[in-house]
Amino acid sequence: MPSMAKPLRQSDYHRFSSATPIVIDNGGSTFRIGWAGESDPRISFRNVVQRPRHRSTGETVTIVGDHHDPALMRYFDCTRTSYRSAFDSNVVYQYEIMEYVLDYAFERLGAGGQVDHPILMTECICNPMSSRSKMAELLFETYGIPSIAFGVDAAFSYKFNQQLGICNEDGLAIYSGLSTSHAIPFLMGEPVIDACCRINVGGYHVTDYLKQLLSLKYPNHMASITWEKAEDLKMEHCYVALDYASELQLFKKGTKEAEEKTRCWQLPWIPPPQEEVPSEEELARKAALKEKQGQRLRDMAAAKKSIKISELENELRGLEDLLDQLEELDDHEVSSFLSRNGYLSTQEIDSAINRVTQSLRKAKGENDENEDRLDASPAEKYPLINVPDDMLTPEQVKEKRRQIFLKTTTEGRLRAKQKRFEEELQREKQNQLDEEKRLENPELYLEQLHTKYKELSEKVDQRKRLKTNGTRGNGNQNSSGGVGRGERLNAAQKERMRLLTTAAFDRGKGEDTFGARDEDWQLYKLMSKDGDDDDDGQEDEAELARVTSRLQDIDPVFVPKPEMSPFQGSGTTELPRLRPLSAEDYQIVLGIERFRCPEVLFQPSMVGIDQAGLDEMVGISLRRLSSVDDSVKDRICTSILLTGGSSLFPGLDARMEAGIRRLRPYLSPLKIVRASDAILDAWRGAATYATSSQFSSQTFSIQDYYEKGENALREYQIKYSL
Amino acid sequence: MEAEVVRTEMVLPTSLPFKRIQMSDKYPKGQSRARYWKHLKQLLQAESFSPDQPNYINIESPPSVYPSKKFCDITGFEAPYVDPRTKLRYANPEVFKRIRMLPDEYVQRYLSLRNAAVVLR
Repeated sequence: MPSMAKPLRQSDYHRFSSATPIVIDNGGSTFRIGWAGESDPRISFRNVVQRPRHRSTGETVTIVGDHHDPALMRYFDCTRTSYRSAFDSNVVYQYEIMEYVLDYAFERLGAGGQVDHPILMTECICNPMSSRSKMAELLFETYGIPSIAFGVDAAFSYKFNQQLGICNEDGLAIYSGLSTSHAIPFLMGEPVIDACCRINVGGYHVTDYLKQLLSLKYPNHMASITWEKAEDLKMEHCYVALDYASELQLFKKGTKEAEEKTRCWQLPWIPPPQEEVPSEEELARKAALKEKQGQRLRDMAAAKKSIKISELENELRGLEDLLDQLEELDDHEVSSFLSRNGYLSTQEIDSAINRVTQSLRKAKGENDENEDRLDASPAEKYPLINVPDDMLTPEQVKEKRRQIFLKTTTEGRLRAKQKRFEEELQREKQNQLDEEKRLENPELYLEQLHTKYKELSEKVDQRKRLKTNGTRGNGNQNSSGGVGRGERLNAAQKERMRLLTTAAFDRGKGEDTFGARDEDWQLYKLMSKDGDDDDDGQEDEAELARVTSRLQDIDPVFVPKPEMSPFQGSGTTELPRLRPLSAEDYQIVLGIERFRCPEVLFQPSMVGIDQAGLDEMVGISLRRLSSVDDSVKDRICTSILLTGGSSLFPGLDARMEAGIRRLRPYLSPLKIVRASDAILDAWRGAATYATSSQFSSQTFSIQDYYEKGENALREYQIKYSL
Repeated sequence: MEAEVVRTEMVLPTSLPFKRIQMSDKYPKGQSRARYWKHLKQLLQAESFSPDQPNYINIESPPSVYPSKKFCDITGFEAPYVDPRTKLRYANPEVFKRIRMLPDEYVQRYLSLRNAAVVLR
C-alpha cells in the first residue's frame, strides 16, 4: 500500500446538490470516498482504526488510517494498541470500527449537517446477508442516508475497463484483493454470479509470507522487518515466475542470472569507530612515560635495598662487637652478659652472625654459596642428621628435625630438576630422530606425521566428547528441555553419582553384608575417583601438542584444527561471535523470496490453504458456466481482465496465460489484459456508474428499509449495465 | 489536547454534526468493550442459505486438482525429504543439518507458515 498523504478536509461539500451520489470503495486494505462523476476519489486511507491512550491524561482517542505523524508517537501510547480492521476476510463484521471509519470519511469529505446524498458502496460478491443488513442499518439509522446501493468492486472495475475498450462484453474478471481473490465471468456485460469463484488468498498472504520468511532468515533484524516494510518490499521487488520449477533451478544452481535477480536491502549501519594508529610522537611519549615510571620503581627498589644493606651491616657490626666484648670478659661473667643481651650461648651469636652475613650477601646480589655447598658435602651442611637423638640436647633435636626437612625438600627439588632435564633430553632426541627420518624421506615423513596428528587429535577429541557426554549433536532436544542436573555431569561423574546413591539406598535394607566379600571394597575405589584422573589422556595431549608444533614448523600450509565447539555448524544461521560486524551483516538479501512469495497466489497449499490457484480458478469458473456452449467460453477467454492490487506483480499476466492455456483445449483463443489502473478502477467504475440517470432505480431507499425491512435487502441486486 | 495534535487533525472528534446517533450514545463508556462482534465463521453459521443460489460458501474454490508440490521449508527449493522428528521438509543434507540445529520455536514457526504447526488447545 503506498503511503498516502494525510487526507485533507474537503471544503466544497456544500457545492454538491443532494442528488449527487457519494461513492465509497470499501476495500479490505484501502477506503476510498469521493463524488460520483469525478475521476479520482477525494479521500483515500488505510481501512484501519487504532485507539491509543493519551500518555498524560490516559484518555482513549480514535485514530483512523495509518498516520506516521511524530506527534502521534509523542503524545499517545501506541505500543499497547494495534491497527484494527472492520474486516474478517473480505466481509465487514466489526461495525463499531466501520462506524469510526465512516465518521472519519464523511468528516474529511466536509459533511456539515446531514449527509444528504445517495451512497454507492462496494461490498464483496455474495456478501452474507447479516453483514449487508448491518451496513444498511448503520447507514440509514446512524447517518440518515436517503438511499444506498451496493455493488461488487470487481464488477465495477470490469465495467470501467469495458468502457475504456480494454475488455469485452463477454469476459472474465480476475480480481485479487487483500485477503481474497475472485474469478467472475461476464456475459452481455453482466456478472454471472452463479459461476464465480473465490479463493481465500490475496496480497495479505503474500506480504505475511515474505515478512515471516525474512524474519526467520534474519532473526537478528526481526525488528527492522515490519509489516509496512514487507509490504514495500513486496511491491517493489516481488515478481511472478513464468515457470516456478525452472526458476527455482536457476537459483539452486546459483547461476549468474540468479545472482542478477537477487536484490539486497542494506539496513542502516554505522561502522564502528576505527582504532586509530598512534602517531610516532604518541608512541615516543608513551614509551618515555613508561621508562620514567620504570626508573622510579627501580630507584625505589635500589633505595630499599641500600637501607636493608645498611641495617644488616649495623646488625653484623653489633654482633661482632658483642663477640669482641665476650673475649675480653671472664668466664664467669659470660653467662650473665649473654642473658643480658638476650642470647643463650656463644654458638647462638655465631649462628646469628652467619645468618646476617648470608642475608647481607643475598641483599648485595652476590651468589649464594649455599647451593654449591649442598652438592659438595651434605654431611657438612646437615651435621646433626646422622647423630642419634639421645646424644643431643632438645634444641639440637629440633635443629636436627629442621635439617632433615630441608634435606628432603632440596633432594626432591633436585630429583625433579633431573627429571625435567632428562625429559628435555628425550624430546631433543626424539626431535633429532624425527629430523633424521625427515631428511631421509621428507614426503613420507610428512604423511606419517599428518596421520599421527589425525589419530591423536581424534583420540583427544573423543576423550573430550566423552567428558562432555557427547550428546551435543542434537541441539534440538537440549534447547527445548533446558539444562537439567544431568546435563552438567559427564559420563564418569554420572556413574559415580549412581554408585553413591545406590550405596546410600542399599544400607538398612535387610542384613548388612557389605564388606563380607573383598570385591565390596572395590566400590570405594570407584567412588573416590573424581573423574580427573586421566593420565594417559594428558600424555596424548602432550604428544598432540608436540606433533602440532612439529607440523607447524615443517609444513607451511598446515593449520591446526580449531577447538571442537559443541555448536559448530550452526554458524550458517548465526553470526560468529568474534568477527567484527560489517555492513554485510546488516543486509537483507531477497533472492528466491522475490518469486517465492507471490507464488502463494498460484499454489495456496504453500501457506496451508487447500484451494486452487489463481489460474486454476478460471477453469473452475468456466466449468460452473454450465448452460453456456463452448464458443461462448472461447469468447470469454479472449477477454480476461486482471485487476485488484495483487494483480500488479510483474509477470503475472504471462504466468496466467501459461496456466490457463493448460486448462483450455488445444489452440483455443486466449487473451489476457491488465486493467488500466488495477487499484483505482473499482472506485472509478463505481463513480461512473453512479452518474447514470438510471442510478436512482438501482438504489435501496430509507423508505424501503423502514417499510419492507431488512429482508428486502436479500433480493436486492443491482444491474451493472445501465 | 496539545495544539500540535489538534493541528494534525488526526484524532476523530467524539461528536459529529451529521450523525443522528453519536458514538458515545451508541456504545456507552465501559460497555463498548464488552460488546462482541460475531466473526465471519459465526455469521455464516447463522445464515440460512438456499443451496441452488450462489452464496458466500458455495462460491469458494474446491481444492486444487494438481498434486501439491513439496517445497523445502527453509530454502524454498523442491524438497524430496521430510525430517521425521521436526516434520520439516528439506532439500538436501546441508539443510537437514541446519534443521537439526534449529530451536524448537523456529521449527514451529516454519511449520506454521504452511499451517502445519502443532496447535495446543
